[in-house]
Amino acid sequence: MSGTLHRLLRQRRARVAMALVALLCLAAALAPWLVPYEPTAQLDLVRGQYLAPSAEHPFGTDFYSRDLLSRVLYGARISLAIAVLSVVLSVTIGTAVGLTAGLAGGVVDAVLMRAIDAALAVPRVFLLLVVLVLWENVGVVGLIAILGLTSWFDASRIVRAEVLSLKTREFVVAARALGLGPPRLALRHLLPNLAAPIIVTATLGIGQIILTEAALSYLGLGVSPPTPSWGSIIAEGQQALAVAPWVAAFPGVAIVVTVVGFSLLGDGLRDAIDPRAR
Amino acid sequence: MNPLLRVRDLRTSFGSGRSVARAVDGVSFDLFPGETLGIVGESGCGKTVTALSILRLIPEPPGQIADESLVEYGDANVMTLAPEELRRIRGAEIAMIFQEPTTSLNPVLTVGTQIVETLRAHREISRREARRRAVEALELVGIPDPDQRVDHYPHQMSGGMQQRVMIAMALCCQPKILIADEPTTALDVTIQAQILELLADLKRRLDMAMILITHDLAVAAGIADRVAVMYGGQIVEEGPAATVFSNPEHPYTAALLEAIPRLDRTADRLPTIPGAVPPASDWPPGCRFHPRCPHAWEQCAAEVPNPLGVARDHRARCWLVYEPGRRRP
Repeated sequence: MSGTLHRLLRQRRARVAMALVALLCLAAALAPWLVPYEPTAQLDLVRGQYLAPSAEHPFGTDFYSRDLLSRVLYGARISLAIAVLSVVLSVTIGTAVGLTAGLAGGVVDAVLMRAIDAALAVPRVFLLLVVLVLWENVGVVGLIAILGLTSWFDASRIVRAEVLSLKTREFVVAARALGLGPPRLALRHLLPNLAAPIIVTATLGIGQIILTEAALSYLGLGVSPPTPSWGSIIAEGQQALAVAPWVAAFPGVAIVVTVVGFSLLGDGLRDAIDPRAR
Repeated sequence: MNPLLRVRDLRTSFGSGRSVARAVDGVSFDLFPGETLGIVGESGCGKTVTALSILRLIPEPPGQIADESLVEYGDANVMTLAPEELRRIRGAEIAMIFQEPTTSLNPVLTVGTQIVETLRAHREISRREARRRAVEALELVGIPDPDQRVDHYPHQMSGGMQQRVMIAMALCCQPKILIADEPTTALDVTIQAQILELLADLKRRLDMAMILITHDLAVAAGIADRVAVMYGGQIVEEGPAATVFSNPEHPYTAALLEAIPRLDRTADRLPTIPGAVPPASDWPPGCRFHPRCPHAWEQCAAEVPNPLGVARDHRARCWLVYEPGRRRP
């Protein structure tokens, strides 16, 4: 693993990505101490509306005179937390399903994979919209569950493919020859060998989920106001694009930076872990 | 004495329809407690498939073991055991080690973890107890500083050391039978001798029986009590190692022995066996060796010889046993 880190740090792209991601995570973690104002505090509804960026309000203020920097920082917390937790959920399910399908083979594999094909045939955004419209006020936990439960298909296919190739490796045959049963084989022998593709899938998945969550919140189906999430801040700023473009611009930039950061990190990890990909 | 393992009419084939490769085609032998049986033969003769079939490690499909095949261990026919019963036999009763120690060990787990997992697959013991036994097992196979080596990864060890780890893993649950499939082929000659010596020593100390699969007649001669020579998916000659190697009955065994380079004989060219091993999907009729056999006559091409007794414990699958007069000088 130290070799992987070394190869990762040798790529300039990956170094930039790591710095970006680290900065974001730090900002999100320390938001309560970093923010100049409460993110939901309406500072001055009369004279504080749509103030342009200034020393006092580096990102300006919104319609309710709330400090945008504080809202974007708190939004990072919400958006990253949702993304990380739903990726953990989706990767866990995906790994479990992929391991089961790959190791069991035969009918089990065929049934699981055809079910996943069928699920993938339904457009994801459409599926999410239907679920969220039917389930009012999902809340953050509900949102995490929905995002996680609808995004494990790719992870399971990647894991299954990897298991199929690992299964023919001699050390798996040797372990079976010494009486290791399927559960022990899967958890002790295969899972550690799957760490690399799983980490890469998860990293790339975070960027994806942040985009999805932002899109849903923008449509008003994700995180509900006044809780700040990047998507909902953009939605609020949309009404004032002409007079106060900064309201929508700053969270937008935050999304771009985050998604690019995680994508570059994922690509870098993939190259660092798999020497053939270069 | 009752045999520990009885193999009767083992048939393993691959593929289906028109091109069925009958890799193992009617192999029968007994393995007695405490003995070492050497299975020898050239590449593609079915040695490894025989070994894998005994533990049912052949991927099915494409492989297929015929229903009438019998592998009797104790009261059980291994061929018809339920998966969980089969799992309990593998490693705890019959263990197997492979040719390439480098690829037979999981690259991302420490050797200790791999031994611990094998132990815990068969014994209800705590992690700490399993680790203690793993260190003992490493000590048993002659690994220096076992309490440090236990935390090393396979890539931190040499090939010979890795094979010792594989042996420790295979023996940690005290199996009654060890199947060693070309255990020294991937190692250099000096290490080869050490590993063979270790196997012979452990077999004695742990009171096991061993099936040693090798293409190297010298290895078999050095360590086996009995040998079975395989050709074309069948055992063509079987008997005590000393007898088979000094008085080979089957022309194939004789030809193999002829082909060994010798220090006391100067020759421009080594004797070889003409032709090549036919593909397993297309065995010749009659005796499978007859197209390459210098003694063959019409009967050899027409009728399949059964294993015939030369002496009480020495059998050969060859018509010459009946008609010794036809043997050419």
